[in-house]
Amino acid sequence: MPVVERERYVEVAEVSKVFRAGTAGAIEAVSSVSFTLPRGQFVAVLGPSGCGKSTLLMMLGGLEAVTSGHIAVGGAPMTGPRTSIGIMFQDPTLLPWKSALDNVLFPLRVLKRPLDTYRSGAQLLLERVGLDGFMHKKPHELSGGMRQRVAICRTLVYDPELLLMDEPFSALDAITRDEMNELLLDLWQQYTKTALFVTHSIREAVFLADRVLVMTRRPSTIVEDLTIPFARPRSMVLGESREFNEICGHLRGRIEQSHNRPNGHRAETTLARPELVG
Amino acid sequence: MTAVYPVAPRIGIAPALLAGKAVLTGPRLRQLRPVILPLATAAAVLLVWQIVVTGLRVPAVILPPPIAIGHELWRVLPVLLHHAVPTTLDTLMAFFTASALGVGLAIAIAYSPFLRDMIYPNLVLFQLIPKVALAPLFVVWLGIGSGSRVAFAAFVSFFPVVISAVVGFANIEASALRLCRSLTGSEWQCFAMVRFPFALPAIFSGMKIAMTMAVIGVIISEFISAQAGLGFYILYASSRMETALIFAALLVLCVIGVALFGAVALAEELVHRSYGRR
Repeated sequence: MPVVERERYVEVAEVSKVFRAGTAGAIEAVSSVSFTLPRGQFVAVLGPSGCGKSTLLMMLGGLEAVTSGHIAVGGAPMTGPRTSIGIMFQDPTLLPWKSALDNVLFPLRVLKRPLDTYRSGAQLLLERVGLDGFMHKKPHELSGGMRQRVAICRTLVYDPELLLMDEPFSALDAITRDEMNELLLDLWQQYTKTALFVTHSIREAVFLADRVLVMTRRPSTIVEDLTIPFARPRSMVLGESREFNEICGHLRGRIEQSHNRPNGHRAETTLARPELVG
Repeated sequence: MTAVYPVAPRIGIAPALLAGKAVLTGPRLRQLRPVILPLATAAAVLLVWQIVVTGLRVPAVILPPPIAIGHELWRVLPVLLHHAVPTTLDTLMAFFTASALGVGLAIAIAYSPFLRDMIYPNLVLFQLIPKVALAPLFVVWLGIGSGSRVAFAAFVSFFPVVISAVVGFANIEASALRLCRSLTGSEWQCFAMVRFPFALPAIFSGMKIAMTMAVIGVIISEFISAQAGLGFYILYASSRMETALIFAALLVLCVIGVALFGAVALAEELVHRSYGRR
């Protein structure tokens, strides 16, 4: 693989997104964002809700078009969804009539790949996340954490190169969330994917990522690109170390700083489609 | 009349009911109560009917006693079954036509906001019109053949299908569709694997209503134009003041209606089991 492609596996250049462009209600959700991700890196995008980080993620996944700028993944410009990219959404979005195993196999049905080849792999993934006894349960029989674990397996089963995660654990309670973070790191280490993880939790970002990008509201752009120095594998104990908390403090400062900056657009913070910008 | 007495002990629950005591409360009986109670109530009504009609010497032309109706039913059953055939076939034809057209139009509406804005309010408005009043129009337009009756019954039962199917397609989870798109699913795949299964329960509840409407539509048409069928037979019997025959025909009609409705309900139950949300 050429060095350039490895170093600039994901390339985001001057990307902006304006909803309802050209109308009186135009909303700039993302404003001139640029960064690159090398292959195999775990990067967290950290920012308050409504700062456009989810929109950024959807553009990276090819589900939203950019208004201006340029996104390329693996050297090819994004024109639409791709099978080399796996997206985890805020909610698990399991199909309620399918069992956990069938939900994990759902992408392969869509991709028209032979299910039998993947079934054992899917079962292995479900075992890895501790759902051995729940493969044939329907989503309504699973807890919130279990559903999100099924969603992780569903994202990994077809082996995408790039994982995009849109606050996947934000609906879970704090204890389950910690568990899921450890599980995610564990899996990520095993499968070594390039990962972009959107969150509004500072601790989650620092715990998970090699690098944290801080995104702010108005303008919705990246104001900080911080490398997280901790070695892997990491465990939850890391969160009690002094260095960890210093980094968190620094990031909190950066977010607050950008928040308190005077600007004339406060009234616009009620967004028409907050779910797209969240 | 002596036949009444063997039934009499059945209303042994009446004194308990009058005394305000809980009836049928034993653990085994409680289980059977949903079956026993309605049957016992029906039997009690028939009994009271029989006693009142014979006791007060009500003329059979006004209200024949249940036992006399039973006798008539047994006597003319072959004739009634002969008339039941066109009624059942026309009902089925109308039901399937209405279901296919209703679901088809709902799909078109689900995919085209323009079509939805254009048609849906009018459909809801039409739902409010007493469509039965239009039956003579169908005779004017399509004559007195079976086609005219099927068309009218299909017209009457079309609306519940299309309206509940439109609601079904509108209430699907947007995130599930987004997941399907993110997996590079084609429009057809997303329809077949996500949209349609999500809408199925709503479609079936519309189809259940459509089945009862189809029976009503066919009977009304037969009142107006037919030379055969249970609706025709009821009109014929009433013109001859054969009230017991009317009731006998109604009984057969009831059995057909329950059987057809039961078939749709059974199909709905199966769909719920494989595609229900729980």
